[in-house]
Amino acid sequence: MADIEKPLLEIIKDHAVGLTEAPTRETPIADLGIDSFSIVEIIYEVEEKLGVEVPFNANENPFGDMKSVGDLIDALDALIKK
Amino acid sequence: MSRNVVVTGMGVVSPIGADLGAYWQGLTSGKNGIVTREFTLGDDLSLTVPSAPVDDVEERINGLGRVLLRADRFSQLAVLAADEAIENAGLELDEQLGARTACIIGTGIGGQATLDVGYEQMLRRGKRPHPLSILKVITNAPASHMSIRYGARGPAFAISSACATGAHSIGVCADLIRGGSADVALAGASEAVLTFGALTTWKAMHILATETCRPFSKNRNGLVIGEGAGVLVLEEEERARKRGANILARLVGFGMNADGKDMINPEVDGAAGAIKLALDGVQINDPSAVYINAHGTGTLMNDPTETKAVRSVFGAGADDLVMSSTKSMHGHLLGAAGGIETIASILALNNNVAPPTMNYDEPDPECDLNYAPNEAVERNIDLAISNSFAFGGLNAVVAFQKV
Repeated sequence: MADIEKPLLEIIKDHAVGLTEAPTRETPIADLGIDSFSIVEIIYEVEEKLGVEVPFNANENPFGDMKSVGDLIDALDALIKK
Repeated sequence: MSRNVVVTGMGVVSPIGADLGAYWQGLTSGKNGIVTREFTLGDDLSLTVPSAPVDDVEERINGLGRVLLRADRFSQLAVLAADEAIENAGLELDEQLGARTACIIGTGIGGQATLDVGYEQMLRRGKRPHPLSILKVITNAPASHMSIRYGARGPAFAISSACATGAHSIGVCADLIRGGSADVALAGASEAVLTFGALTTWKAMHILATETCRPFSKNRNGLVIGEGAGVLVLEEEERARKRGANILARLVGFGMNADGKDMINPEVDGAAGAIKLALDGVQINDPSAVYINAHGTGTLMNDPTETKAVRSVFGAGADDLVMSSTKSMHGHLLGAAGGIETIASILALNNNVAPPTMNYDEPDPECDLNYAPNEAVERNIDLAISNSFAFGGLNAVVAFQKV
């Protein structure tokens, strides 16, 4: 399990206005109901909470071809470890 | 074919009333919106000064939705006013009309509260600012939020000219409609700078009143900063008539110029020139039916200068007109002043009532017009003028008549 999984799931939960239940790795990103503001806030909160820097460009589609929250967690984990 | 511009809707959030009805009630009853209040930042910074805050709108702000909850207060107040203006106008923007609708919403400063908090955290606590700070601070944020919220996809931008911002925004918007760049527009301004940082900076300029705002009164000693927003729906007249809109007034004149003299001190010729430009082609048969909503800041310099400017434009007729400063009630909303004061002018025109200049204690020989001292004046009003004269010598004046 990626180190950031638990804190990231908590952060996403706070922003996922489209969900009634807590998100899991399997939750489709499309179901989260998060907007462009939330993406920037989620990245910021990851950085603040974990004391890391995420080399993320807000002008790029941060999801690319990601489908699930698990894909997002793995992508962020890979970015942090760069 | 010339295109006329009419006002079909208005919305206001002010220190004396946070909607049109409450605002007019406040204006005519001489309501006081000025309170001495403490402003803090962090754990240890504090300043207590007279100010004119907007209270009791938190519930409405919370109802604006997720995106606007993450906006600065100046955007939130602007959207509250715009929501009311659109409803007041009975305006429905479909795909086609949306493309022809402009949003020109100005501000003098922008996201001051966001800047204050961000810098306090960054410079004193070594913390990073919130990542959405830029989107909160930028002066075009209200125009952008409105374009998204209402689907208004015509020209959209912010105008900034300190205390003349609101009048410039309304006047430029009218020009956009006259020139064919838009058919409908949301025009106005917003300001929310009641923060420790901003008020401390204003205090440093030694121009804030010590107790309250007393325009044109001999014992006046400065301005009181207020917050709020005023937004008009402007429409090309033929289209407004076709849709059966309730037309509140016709914008008959817009004058703008610059003194070109001094950053602080206002100048009679510049102010008079702007008023003359606004009245170019306007027939004034009866000066006693003219109402001027004065810039009337209550500073030592503005009030006699403005009085002389009005005298130089109206000559002997100046003794017959009524000019009041509603800043005596709602304070000086800086960029938003021209927004809410234009609305006060149109309400005066519609109701045939000139709101008073409150806190008027003592005549000043330098200020010798009829300022409706301490009591509203009922009389026929055919022409309403709103004056705005900014620091930096930028002047904007808008004039309205009944339709």
